[in-house]
Amino acid sequence: MTKHTEPLLSVRDLNFKFNLRGQVLHALRDISLDVYPGESLAIVGESGSGKSVFVKCLMGLNDMNGFVESGSIEYDGKDLTLLKTDADWKSIRGSKIAMVLQDPMTSLNPLKTIGWQIEEAVTLHQGLKGAEAKKAVCNILEEVGISDPERRAKQYPHEFSGGMRQRVVIAIAMACRPEILICDEPTTALDVTIQAQILGLIKDMQKKYNLTTIYITHDLGVVANVADRIAVMYAGEIVEVGTSDEVFYDPRHPYTWALLSSLPQLGVKGEPLYSIEGTPPNLFYEVKGDAFAPRNPKALKIDYVKRPPMFAVTATHSARTWLIDPRAPKVDPPEHILVLRERGKDLVAKAAAEGMISTGAAMHVSEAEMTGDAAGMSVSETLQPVGTEASAPGMQQPGEAGASVSGTQQSGESKMSAPHTDGDKEVTARG
Amino acid sequence: MAKYIFKRILHAIFTLLIVITIVFALLRQMPIEGYFNNIDKLTDAQVHAGLTRLGLTRPLPIQIWNYLVQVFHGDLGVSNKFRDGYSIAKIIAGKAPISIKLGLISLVVSLIVGMSMGIMMARSTRTKWKLWDKFGTVFIVIIQAVPSAVYHLLIQLYGSSLLGVSMLFKEEQLMTWILPIFSLSIGNIAYYAMWLRRYMVDEANKDYIRLARAKGVPSGRISRQHVFRNAVVPLVQYLPNSILLTIVGSLYVESLYSIPGMGGLLVQVIKLQDNTMVLALVLIYSAISVLGLLLGDLAMGLADPRISFVKKEGAR
Repeated sequence: MTKHTEPLLSVRDLNFKFNLRGQVLHALRDISLDVYPGESLAIVGESGSGKSVFVKCLMGLNDMNGFVESGSIEYDGKDLTLLKTDADWKSIRGSKIAMVLQDPMTSLNPLKTIGWQIEEAVTLHQGLKGAEAKKAVCNILEEVGISDPERRAKQYPHEFSGGMRQRVVIAIAMACRPEILICDEPTTALDVTIQAQILGLIKDMQKKYNLTTIYITHDLGVVANVADRIAVMYAGEIVEVGTSDEVFYDPRHPYTWALLSSLPQLGVKGEPLYSIEGTPPNLFYEVKGDAFAPRNPKALKIDYVKRPPMFAVTATHSARTWLIDPRAPKVDPPEHILVLRERGKDLVAKAAAEGMISTGAAMHVSEAEMTGDAAGMSVSETLQPVGTEASAPGMQQPGEAGASVSGTQQSGESKMSAPHTDGDKEVTARG
Repeated sequence: MAKYIFKRILHAIFTLLIVITIVFALLRQMPIEGYFNNIDKLTDAQVHAGLTRLGLTRPLPIQIWNYLVQVFHGDLGVSNKFRDGYSIAKIIAGKAPISIKLGLISLVVSLIVGMSMGIMMARSTRTKWKLWDKFGTVFIVIIQAVPSAVYHLLIQLYGSSLLGVSMLFKEEQLMTWILPIFSLSIGNIAYYAMWLRRYMVDEANKDYIRLARAKGVPSGRISRQHVFRNAVVPLVQYLPNSILLTIVGSLYVESLYSIPGMGGLLVQVIKLQDNTMVLALVLIYSAISVLGLLLGDLAMGLADPRISFVKKEGAR
């Protein structure tokens, strides 16, 4: 990890507001975040949590009615919050920070050829013209995995499939030769098989051009696949930030708990998926206390009164919740989270035993879902205690169950249905 | 492409045939006075003789067939009430040029002014006060909501005293052209401005504009190369039709300035029950409309690469 290097981009106490119909919407509340060179950072959160507004701040792409109220964004020796006009942003947009948008079906101009659109970026940022530019376009197309580039460059977006169009969008971003690549839900609009390819492509580009990537997503599967660090956003603030392992296996904020508990991969077949009750607060009014408190069944009294500060858990991990305050009562996270925590410990132990450092291996919760490979068994392991918990309450401590089960008698079973249908047998077998 | 045009022209001819048949059949249901200038003074035998001369005593399908053959040879027939005995082609040839001249000039004016106005309005929606957009919207609403007769009259009254010119149109005096052209244009200016603004604002909010901004394209270039270019596409379809319809002339403006043009001719001959002329004018107008639609579709195909006139090869 790159913990000790200087941050590439540093956001401090950023407050961003919108004027909407005479009201003021407080879209980003005291955001502080560092982005380190070469890392890939994922920003997760539900719709309306401010993820997109935040990254648009980095490129000055928010709508006219939005404004920075306070705070700073230090990047490239400048404070980006001071840039106003398109001319001010000229040195940043494209040339330093490029972007891949969510929906490749709409993010290309339908009336211009693919080649024209990439050439636009090549001309602007690499200063190439004519035949040279054409050649550069073909090279980039080839790089992103589009074969027969000379012919393809002359085609229009409607002659490409969704996945191919996303490749073109990535090609445009790469043609800018940026330092930071922002991927705003790059795979949400694509089907599952294409998703993995596109993520793979972005990773390749990251390696090849030494890019720093910022992903915005609400797909934790994508996060697990790509991110070194995760920032969880809720109601316009960052509630938790840490390395992938820390956030996935030792989450501290109740919202992160709830978010991870609602992963379909952790659900039990036949039972309703966990979902977070209520709705996010209305940001037209100033939020009092902890924004998540009204939806948090285990909220403390102070959560309704005073806004928690960012507490550091480790050097890389911090969360905005009173639970970390030493004076706070001990509140146990929900079962799902305990299970994840145990799995995290197991993996660390295993990794230590095998002498390999793997952040990636621990993260394959969702990929296993898709591929059903060996790692897939670990998904069912995590499910196990929760299922028995639910069918036979008060049996065992879920943590113990998870620990005892892991790696023992799982191999032959069909992974999803096992815990539920054979629940009783399982419990007796274990007892 | 050529095959498509050929097919569309065949369709157009077929449409015109149907139009002629229907209008001809309907007109034959009207009193036969429409074929005579002075039926009161004629005896029954003379009327019958006249009808036979026009071929109207034969069965209806044969009459229609004969008329079609006649039109096919370029003969629109003879007027019998509007100007007794005059060839219809000659009447139109005398009236059309002035309408076409005025129409074309006003079209150019309204395209230039209307489109620049639309662009200014659309661009101003990205500024803080949106001044141009507000002014433009007020103008458009007034033009759309107030009956055109009212502002045409106001333009004539105040315009003529302001410019110090005669209220009536005289072809030799260029100054008298200004007011009719202004009147003819003002509605279209509002129309083009409204639609161009609307399509430009639509386009400006599309994802690919966001991507273009994110890739660092300067805003002037975005307006020209991305927004305007794409916003024009839906307008292009209706352009040929409105060009042709402008040329046909405006009833109200032409009568207001007593311009000897085509405007109102159809209404006039319907009132007079000049059946042969009604038929000829309906034929011309429907030919113009059908042609306009065809040109509109072709223009659309040229402007938008997604529209193809040949069958897709299927594969992506």
